[in-house]
Amino acid sequence: MFAKHIQPMVFQARRLYVDVMFQVMGRALQAVSEIDSAVQAEARALPDGFLFEMMVMPHGSRLIVEHIGSGRLHYHGDKAPRPIDLSIQFKHIAHAFLVLSFQEKTSVAFANDRMLVNGEISYAVRMTRILNRLETFILPKLVAQRAVKEYPKSLHLPEKLISAARIYLKVATNFVETARAS
Amino acid sequence: MSNKYYEFFCPVKVIAGKAALEHIPYELTGMGAKRPMIVTDKGVRAAGLLEPVVSACEESGLEIISIYDDVPPDSSTSVVKDIAGIYRNEKCDSLIAIGGGSAIDTAKAVNILVSEGGDDIAKYSGAGVIKKPLKPFLVVPTTAGTGSEVTSVAVITDTKKSVKLPFSSSFLLPNAAVIDPRMTLTLPPHITAATAMDAMTHATEAFTCMAKNPLSDAYATAAIKKISHSLLTVMDNPKDAEGRLELAQASTMAGIAFSNSMVGLVHALGHATGAICHLPHGLCMSLYLPYVLEYNLETIREPLGELLLYLDGPEVYAATPSNRRAEASISSLRKLRDELHKRCKLPRTLKETGSVTEDQLETIAEVALDDGSIMFNPKEVLLEDAREVLKRAWA
Repeated sequence: MFAKHIQPMVFQARRLYVDVMFQVMGRALQAVSEIDSAVQAEARALPDGFLFEMMVMPHGSRLIVEHIGSGRLHYHGDKAPRPIDLSIQFKHIAHAFLVLSFQEKTSVAFANDRMLVNGEISYAVRMTRILNRLETFILPKLVAQRAVKEYPKSLHLPEKLISAARIYLKVATNFVETARAS
Repeated sequence: MSNKYYEFFCPVKVIAGKAALEHIPYELTGMGAKRPMIVTDKGVRAAGLLEPVVSACEESGLEIISIYDDVPPDSSTSVVKDIAGIYRNEKCDSLIAIGGGSAIDTAKAVNILVSEGGDDIAKYSGAGVIKKPLKPFLVVPTTAGTGSEVTSVAVITDTKKSVKLPFSSSFLLPNAAVIDPRMTLTLPPHITAATAMDAMTHATEAFTCMAKNPLSDAYATAAIKKISHSLLTVMDNPKDAEGRLELAQASTMAGIAFSNSMVGLVHALGHATGAICHLPHGLCMSLYLPYVLEYNLETIREPLGELLLYLDGPEVYAATPSNRRAEASISSLRKLRDELHKRCKLPRTLKETGSVTEDQLETIAEVALDDGSIMFNPKEVLLEDAREVLKRAWA
């Protein structure tokens, strides 16, 4: 009986968590592309105006970023200005929650068929590397090790802390600007 | 609660062994097909491999309505369109692909057009675009390596745009794969070796990469055992029908394994090398396999060690200390590769191929890094890692 009442709340909380994480990730992708040369080098191979989407099937939360040139990404929220070029779709919100709560690595989620890729596979590989790079910056090492296939040996604490601080500052600024604009 | 999860799917009926071809009429008529079209290539016709299929059908009163035997090694959208046109003109109702990867992929793409309609195959490119079952479709492999008869993908080149179009749908899978030892008996030694090593790589990567699962493991280990047991025997005695059947079955089993667990860095490097240097896929697999296993070693020590049982048998496995089995597995694969080099000059290094130059390695590394297979490699691969593996594989 208790479980019956509590379950909708759990589902609601999970949906909210995934939604918030998508908003943070979208903004953080934009931020990391502004400060990290490795991410810029990866993103530069994407065509200008390339739209990337991450979403939960069938009509759940989504984040959309655009490559606006020179390796810079721009977060569009959950509305795409044009048809999407590459979409990574979680089959169910439970799968998105597993990945976004770092219980399952992105690479494992791909291997486990939790996600579908619609679009050019080589770009999906590239976007996954960008997401991994972002996660190694913004998550504590212990958590990041659960999120990425291999924590980079070359990333040392000072670089990680400085990059994380700059990304979080940009994310917070973007949140405030969005709130002011709405 | 365990975090493990996997998916496994293979609805292809496997018809294997002596007089397997003679089952084709029964299978087709059972699906209501009366007017089959054969899709194949000139090599298959020249090797006399069409006759047994045609006569098996005619003997049962099933007429082959049309034979298209001009599939090129790298099939294109225009070839697919032409074949679909013939299929429609001749009012065919089913397809039989006879050949290797190219003929099979072409027939898969033709099946999309003749079932879904239209002339533009590019429209159906991507994953999950096809939503309903296609026309009755049988595959008769004539090489023992690609495993295309049990995979749900096809790749066709769009010659106008110079891009490779991938097609992926479970509806691309044939209704049946017909494995008859007569079809691989005349395979030349170097192709026998390269295609068998392709199957060996499929099975080894399926067993050691990230999406491995208990069912794909079973197929992978059985395939490795069959190849290890039969490959050199067949190389020494090409007319060994039993050995040929073992290799053909191993190829299908490895195909089932890797299509359910994916492959890794060997394939990423192989795809890149194939695209840049036009080296045959099987040769690339044979060449890169030991070097990539060495690169992945610490991440895959346990499963790789387990493979020694299937590579060298229980006595060697039991006599090898458990902490040395992974290295012993790599040595066993190197030994096999060296034996193949002795028998048919199958290159062991990139330099030996004579088709790759050292200055192409950088481009190969860069292209490999964007290959989809790299996602399933158990160890993260950076550009410098790919470069290092290529350097070791060079000479």
